[in-house]
Parts: sequence; structure tokens; C-alpha cells
Amino acid sequence: MSFPQSQYLSILTHAPAEQVKQTAEALLNSLGDITVLVNRTGLVMLPYTDTVKGSRFHLGEVLVSESRVRIGAGTEGYAACLGRDLEQSLAIALIDAALQADIATESLTAFVTAQANAQREADAALLHEVEKTRVELETF
Amino acid sequence: MYVAAKGGEEAIQNSEALYGALNGALTLDMVRAIQEGMPYLVDRVMGEGSLYAPELAALALAQTGGDLYEAVLLLRAYRATQPRIAYAHATSADKLFTVRRISAAFKDIPGGQVLGPSLDYSHRLLRLDVLDEERAALNREDAETTSVGTRHASSVSAPSAVQSIPSSVTNTTDAMNGVPTSTYPALADWQRAQGLLPPTEPEQIAPADIPDVTTDTVMFPAPRAHRLQALARADTGGVLALGYSIMRGYGLIHPTVNELRLGYSEVELTHPVTGAVFSVGRVRVSQCEVITPDAGKQGYMLGFAATMGWNEVKLIAASTLDMDMAANDGDGHAAHSEEFVMYHTEPVEASGFCIHFKLPHYVTFASSLDNIRKMAAAVGWDDGKGAQTPGPSAAMDEAEQVG
Repeated sequence: MSFPQSQYLSILTHAPAEQVKQTAEALLNSLGDITVLVNRTGLVMLPYTDTVKGSRFHLGEVLVSESRVRIGAGTEGYAACLGRDLEQSLAIALIDAALQADIATESLTAFVTAQANAQREADAALLHEVEKTRVELETF
Repeated sequence: MYVAAKGGEEAIQNSEALYGALNGALTLDMVRAIQEGMPYLVDRVMGEGSLYAPELAALALAQTGGDLYEAVLLLRAYRATQPRIAYAHATSADKLFTVRRISAAFKDIPGGQVLGPSLDYSHRLLRLDVLDEERAALNREDAETTSVGTRHASSVSAPSAVQSIPSSVTNTTDAMNGVPTSTYPALADWQRAQGLLPPTEPEQIAPADIPDVTTDTVMFPAPRAHRLQALARADTGGVLALGYSIMRGYGLIHPTVNELRLGYSEVELTHPVTGAVFSVGRVRVSQCEVITPDAGKQGYMLGFAATMGWNEVKLIAASTLDMDMAANDGDGHAAHSEEFVMYHTEPVEASGFCIHFKLPHYVTFASSLDNIRKMAAAVGWDDGKGAQTPGPSAAMDEAEQVG
């Protein structure tokens, strides 16, 4: 099972940071020369939509770490994730570059698949707990 | 008049040391305990600090001994050190991974109502049994071992599924697998279809072009984007006080909660190389609408507020203020005034201005004291003691010369 870029990046940014780092660490020798173009923390403003008039407004900013890398023949990988863990975003950017360059695709896809399944199960477990709180109200 | 003062370095260092000693050591364990065990407190600091960073909000709380305004100030100060690197794609209620959605206006709403995580319907009783059981266990352990200094975690914890931050994968109804839905339609859309509310369309504006109170000069009447952003980062207590004044009798409306929602929003960015849109993670957000009959028109009117983190009382009060400011009847009450509400619920400016009064105002006060003495002498109130006894003003003059 392969994943489109938007999906595997979303899965990786939600995955446990240490597992992502270990996966990227195992890739390093197969990526060739690595150039880190960006590795920093910063803010992402989150716009929201008002339901009264449909106005867009800023809900607030989100702290993220952001990384952009270039590997081997020039493929650029990018990632940003919540928090200030620069190694986490760097690891995801390396995985992104690897998948774009078709490096270690099989093992990386297996990792992404496992994470996707774990996240789907966690979501389902939470939603089942929420569903138990559904109310059917009657008035007298 | 403001003048610089100096001196007291040793006393200041000792003061900070005493503060730390009385509050306990600042440790990673403490930060983690706050982050995991007090999510609503962390949410409040993030909401008012206008920065979603749970670990840093917990650190701010630990570092300040739980002083909310100091914690918010720390987070705002940290925010000021960071560059804004991107604008996320705009999100809305119908996209939220929703875990709580209730309405006090309609019992049957499209998608239904889920109570989600809430203490609304619980007994408000202290769980003394937790203390007693923990204390008994601690005493037993102390009797059995000579080890000291071990911190015992609370035995109370939420179910693991509720504590975990859900992932990005499941966002839609998965009837085939029996997974309940994570998204719900906006109740207001259904009401518009029923002709109960005036029609509206989402504003088409690039995120970078949305008016921003952190960079713009705020003018009145303010753009709606300014008002809603200001309410999103407003002080919970300030908003509650003003909102409550409206609910209690200084407003012409009785707010009914149309829809209250807690959930997680994806923060979506665009990949700068390929253009793919992906989520960098989920953040807790909450929103509230209140509704009331529109006296000037047929149908109803809504008030709205949303914030980062889950903060129900703030949003009910803020959305009431939003509705009342929109229906400003010109009676002059402070809570009906956009300018009054926005200026006086800004937590850092308000708390900062308030606490600045405890800083040295010696010259200002000495000046007023001199005036009072001159007046007293002019009208014969001075019995002569004031002129002969060195007072605080004279003492400070000496201190300033030494300093």
C-alpha cells in the first residue's frame, strides 16, 4: 500500500517522535549527501471561520518545528510538526525526501502503514468512548 | 512622571531565590505532570497566550507557581521571539474532530448531541477518598521502607483513549467498520436552511490578508476579524465578568447556547516544494454560538466565539458579548461597547498595567506629597510636624542619591 505525500506526511507528523527518529536514523547511509536547508522553530497562524457572518479570523498561533533538506541528486524533503523538537521535523523531512526519491520505499511504507493503523485504532477507540455519551433528550 | 531607579540587586536575587524555594524545584517531572494532569489549565494559558504549545504552557505554569497572568505573559514573551513562518489553511466547525457537541436550543439537531468529556452532570464533591487512600498507602510504605523523597503520582487518571491525542487518519464516518463519526455539520447551516437565520457565505480571503490584532492598529468599529481574534485571546475572567453582567440584567437579551463544540483541528500547511497539503498535527479548539430572537428583524441572531484549547465558560460569555455588541442598543453600558470589551479583556495589557502600580513611583508620590504639604501649610492644617520630621520623601531622596 502506498500513500500520497499529503497522507504520509500527516501520518508521520502524528506518529511518536522517537519512532520516527529511529526510522530516519536507519535511512541515513542510503541518502547520500544531506544538506539541511532549514531547521528551525516558528509560528503558524491558524485561521478559523465564524459561523455568524462567515468571517475568517485568526484563532492563534501554533508552535512548530520546520525542516527542509536536500539529498543525493537534489530531491528536497520538507516537514513541519507541532512543538519544538527539531530532530523530529528533520527526521520527517528526510523520510519525505527518501520516499520522493524512491529510497527504502518498501520499509518506509511498512512503517507508515503501521503508524496509520495505530492512529486509526486510537481514533476509533476515542470515538467509541465519545459515542457512549450520545444523548437522546425528551421534553415533558 | 517616570524616572529610572536602581539598587537592591542582592535583595532582588534573594527574592527570586525565596520564590523558588517556596514553590519547590522546577523539574521536568513537574512540567509533565502539569501538562498531562491539568489540560484545561494548560488550555487556558495557551488560549490567552495566543500560542498553542502545551509543553511550554505547562513550563510557564510550573515556573510561575501557577500564577496564570505571569504564565500567560511568559508564553506571549516567548511567542515574540519566534518568526511567523506560515499561515495554515483556514478551518471551520464542520471539519473538527469533534468530541463534545451540545445544544440548549434544540434537542434534536442534525448529527445529534454527544456530551463528550464533561463534569457538567457530576456531583461537585471533593474526592477525599483519593487523599485518604493515598495517604494510607504512603503511611504503609513509609512503615515498610526507609526510603524518602519519592514522589507519588495521583491515583486518579483519565482513560487512556481520552488522554491520547487522536491521529489524522480517521476523519469521516466509517459505517463499514462501525466507527462513529468524528465530524458534525454546523447547526447554523441547518437553521439557515430553515430560514431561521440570514444566509451567509464563508469569506474568501487569503490567510495572510486577514486582519490581525497582533500586527495591526486596532480602530473602532473594529473589523469582525479583530473582534473575534481579541475574544479568542481574551482573559477568561474579564470576559466572564462582562458577559455575566449582560446575562444578569445589563443586556437586553437572554442567550441560549445554540451549539457548543469541543474538538481537535488539523493544522494544515502546504508543502513548499510539491504543493501537497498536509497536517502538521492536531490542536484542541472550542467554539460556541448563542442565539436570541432578533428584535429588529424576523428570525434569530447569533453570537459567536472560538479559542484555542477547551474553555467553555469563556466562550459562552464571549459569544454573548459578541451578540450584545452587535445589537448595541446605545444605552451606554460598558459591556455593549466593542472598544470597552476589547481593551479591558486583554490579559497581558490589563494585568501588566495593574501590577505596574507596585513598582517604584517614588518621585510621582513625593511630588503629590509635596503638594499636599504646601496646601496644608497654606490653609493652616500643618501643625509644624510635617516640616520638621524627615518623611518618606526625604528618606527616598537620600536613597536615590546613594543608589
